[in-house]
Amino acid sequence: MTQQQQHQGRLAFIGGGNMAEAILGGLLACGYPLSQCVVSEPIQARCEFLQSKYPGLQTLSGPDANRLAIQGSKSTTTTQSLIQDGSIQVNPTAASIDFAPAEVVILAVKPQVLRSVVVDLAPVLRALQPLVISIAAGIETSAIARFMADGVDEDAIAAGSVKLPPVIRVMPNTPALVLEGAAGMYATADATAEHREVAESLLAAVSKQVSWVETESLIDTVTGISGSGPAYFFLMMEAMEEAGVKLGMDRATAKALTIQTCLGAAKMAQLSSDDLETLRIKVTSPQGTTDAAIKAFEAGGFRDLVQKGVTAADARSRTLAKELGGAKL
Amino acid sequence: MLQSRLAFIGGGNMAEAILGGLLACGYPLSQCVVTEPLQARCEFLHSKYPGLQVLSGPQANHLAVNGSESDSHTADLVNNGAVHINPAAASESFPPAEVVILAVKPQVLRGVVSDLGETLYQRQPLVISIAAGIETSAIARFMAEGAMSASEETSTPVQIKNEDLPAVIRVMPNTPALVNEGATGLYATSDATPAQRLVAESLLGAVSKQVSWVDQESLIDTVTGISGSGPAYFFLMMEAMEDAAVKLGMDRETAKELTIQTCLGAAKMAQSSSDDLKTLRVKVTSPQGTTDAAIKTFEKGGFRELVAESVKAADSRSKSLAVELCGPGKDSKL
Repeated sequence: MTQQQQHQGRLAFIGGGNMAEAILGGLLACGYPLSQCVVSEPIQARCEFLQSKYPGLQTLSGPDANRLAIQGSKSTTTTQSLIQDGSIQVNPTAASIDFAPAEVVILAVKPQVLRSVVVDLAPVLRALQPLVISIAAGIETSAIARFMADGVDEDAIAAGSVKLPPVIRVMPNTPALVLEGAAGMYATADATAEHREVAESLLAAVSKQVSWVETESLIDTVTGISGSGPAYFFLMMEAMEEAGVKLGMDRATAKALTIQTCLGAAKMAQLSSDDLETLRIKVTSPQGTTDAAIKAFEAGGFRDLVQKGVTAADARSRTLAKELGGAKL
Repeated sequence: MLQSRLAFIGGGNMAEAILGGLLACGYPLSQCVVTEPLQARCEFLHSKYPGLQVLSGPQANHLAVNGSESDSHTADLVNNGAVHINPAAASESFPPAEVVILAVKPQVLRGVVSDLGETLYQRQPLVISIAAGIETSAIARFMAEGAMSASEETSTPVQIKNEDLPAVIRVMPNTPALVNEGATGLYATSDATPAQRLVAESLLGAVSKQVSWVDQESLIDTVTGISGSGPAYFFLMMEAMEDAAVKLGMDRETAKELTIQTCLGAAKMAQSSSDDLKTLRVKVTSPQGTTDAAIKTFEKGGFRELVAESVKAADSRSKSLAVELCGPGKDSKL
């Protein structure tokens, strides 16, 4: 998409934590209009942090913050009275207290509270029909749909007389904080191509790799690979650094060489058309030092251990989905 | 900017990585010469770096290091088959090398350096060795061997003193130098001047994002275990993650792309953060979450110990290569 074609619609972030900030920050760095963004965040200190880091950003807290962020406000007068009766706290230095309705709602609250947040917002979401993008781990789109259908007769939903907003589920990762994210995305059948494009362009602001999966269960696998994956590499690097220190190297050198080795390997892999096995074989002279190390990894069952770890994260993601999705209403 | 005349002895992957990176940074092609015995490899280098002077033949190494007195001298060497040059090379002149980069396989280095001993002794270039497992003292010994056997053929054999030999800087680069993302360890003998250290550092710095000096030569084996061989460890990790995802039902292409970007993202985070690696990990590992489940599995399965063993195996192999190739009890007059 060219700069002009890029989505510039109104965004409401429900929750202003690390991942929300990563995405918002990346978007703003790419030129997304600040005035089109609003963040709803309950913790006052966090609001203040966001206000100081992104001067002019509208942050809302208070009992009505989520609703206002999504629904917008009919008039400045209405907003003022909400402020006066304590329903919301706004950023006093924000450019505007005009609140247009959100076109895209990004659910960025912790998985454990998502249900109650969405149930609370259900009437507003149904009335407004924004694109709903969820970055919460372990919450299935069907669960989000159920929460949005709260209070409505099941038959009415089935008959199509009550429409639910389309939901796109995203599994980003923390390197989004340095604009190097890897994200997996799943869209329900009622998301249009345009919805998908919007979601993709938002995540692409902070991710160098954005991949769609065709079945929702693969989001758990995305979790096991890229969602949780950075920690695996942190552990690998920590172990290598430690090994270097044990062999007599100073820690700073061991750390710096290890991290750059990780980076270099990844860059080579990205730029090469070779698969990972071939890349490895090409750099492993028989009987050499690399060969000795790789043989030790293989003899120690490295591959199996990695598979176990990835599978454990995938499985935990599925279990979380069951725990947090809850029984049918 | 550094513009010294460089001679690469050996034109394999690492030599190409360093040369390619230097050229990409604007290093003058005409100041580089590569010697390479395999004709097919020469042709590959000719085509990838048009105008590059690549030499092969019995006198190739000598010509690259010593230079040629004159064009007619060069022509003689070509005519009697002592060297094959690149007819399409940008320059036909051969000044002596100011920096000699030993990039031959460790197994053949002794013969190559001994053969060049006299020339190196006479010309005194900075000698940079990227060969795994060959100690600087061994390189000095090989140079002396060669210089002395050459002098023995004259009427006045000379005693070659260590301090009269060219300074040697030993370098352990790694293959991401091929994409200008190398991690390199360097060790210089005490007779290397600060200027020479700077030359070595800037040459390797052209293709490396991390360049670290070590104060004891034994740590070059550890550099080997960490960054020299390290890229393969991460290739293996990524391959295992990709396979795991495929086993769980993901298509291979998506699994590969997400895995590689995750590796890259983690490294970028680590580089741009002041936190240590443990803190970085702990910060992204919510208790009872998915990451926690994976990390607990790794810890239970002895992940750290396995990594330590493997790094150590590479370090040990580097040390034993040194013994195999340079050998104890190889007497020298030094």
